[in-house]
Amino acid sequence: MSEAQKLLIWRLSMAVLMAAGIWSVRDAGWDVVWRSGPFLLRGIGATLLLTVISVSIGLAGGVVLAILRLFAPPGLRHLAIGYIEVLRAIPQLMVIFWVFYTWPAITGSSVPGWWAAVISLSMIAAAYLAEVVRAGILSVPKTQWESGYVTGLSALQNMTRIILPQAGRNMLPALISHFIMMLKTTSLVYVVGIIDFFRAIIIVNNRDFAPAALYLTMAAGYFVGCYALSWLVRRIEPRYALTT
Amino acid sequence: MHWEVIWRYREVLWNGLIFTLQLSVLSIVGSLVVGVVMGCLGALPNFFLRKFVATYVEVLRNLPVVVKLFFLYFVVGLEAMPAAVIALVTHQSAYIADLVAAGLRAVPREQSEAAYACGHGQWQIYRHILLPQALRIVAPPMTSQFIEVVKNTSTAMLIGVEELTFQTQAIESETFRGFEAASTVTLMYLAMALAIAGGMGLLERRLRLR
Repeated sequence: MSEAQKLLIWRLSMAVLMAAGIWSVRDAGWDVVWRSGPFLLRGIGATLLLTVISVSIGLAGGVVLAILRLFAPPGLRHLAIGYIEVLRAIPQLMVIFWVFYTWPAITGSSVPGWWAAVISLSMIAAAYLAEVVRAGILSVPKTQWESGYVTGLSALQNMTRIILPQAGRNMLPALISHFIMMLKTTSLVYVVGIIDFFRAIIIVNNRDFAPAALYLTMAAGYFVGCYALSWLVRRIEPRYALTT
Repeated sequence: MHWEVIWRYREVLWNGLIFTLQLSVLSIVGSLVVGVVMGCLGALPNFFLRKFVATYVEVLRNLPVVVKLFFLYFVVGLEAMPAAVIALVTHQSAYIADLVAAGLRAVPREQSEAAYACGHGQWQIYRHILLPQALRIVAPPMTSQFIEVVKNTSTAMLIGVEELTFQTQAIESETFRGFEAASTVTLMYLAMALAIAGGMGLLERRLRLR
């Protein structure tokens, strides 16, 4: 059997399986999902917005942390290392609760849900992206630094004009992978009361009770978003791996 | 700051730690076994096995743990503990399968060809030649996979497993001392991560080939 025939058989059997799966849940109460459409779409919007905001803030923080970890004098460097390693070693839920509990201890009033979510997600993203940025900076050949200095650029100019642009290109696939990770992590912030996609599904389920339809919709929603992004990574990765 | 609260609730935290450790050990062992089996199946020359493993990895990696957890608990209707363990195993085994496959690819081709020429069967080649080398190669990234499992056990609180994060919430709601409780529990998670990193480092040194 040729490779093409095998692929055809595989695709056909997957299609049959999918059809059987869809057929078996045909009475799960899909009208509930349909009727709550606008509400669920708003939830998806909130999830995407949270991801974009936390990755943007996290990237800025990650660049600072990575530079501190690589070039700062010992005291500061160890602080950055400590932050990165601790945030990466404790559960994301703990970080969210930590922000939730620490805020009142500092300001005296309870923290609004969106702030708790954005702060904790950005803190998590910064720790992970710091390592991505660090790997990106280290991937730029040493000769680039040296030629920058020889041409008379200052350390800051060298960093912003020569190193970071190249590091950014090299780390793009890893950056998208972490975007996927953050997209999945946002499902946890429902504990602070934000109506993201995850909580929207739960709210609708509490009202109309159609768990199979709703949770399948949720799984499909996250899968489509994450799969599209990981497909993008696979598309661009070889192109980026070849050029330095 | 009222740190005496922690001492008063030591039993609660201890119970939480037991649950977290149970979940972690079961899920780490489970995801390692499933991950290694999947990784090996995916490396075999069979087209359909390879496609099956690729689909398994792709689907499970692109779903958040909580989605799996809620699906198993509310739709499939499992008890909380089995649902948590299965969710954690299916989640992490997808990552570990990918890792093991990468490890197997990193072992030079000549190794399995030589073993085949010596008359070893497929199973013997994997058992005695490929896996021992591949697992040594992937030991460092495997450490972070195991730590990831411990971190993800915290999501089990959302379906009511009374593990550490759940107890943090419980202490907060009874005493409003969330900060102290969260700090203590954070330290406990850190200790677990360090224990895993230390244990894996020790294992790596013991198993190093000379």
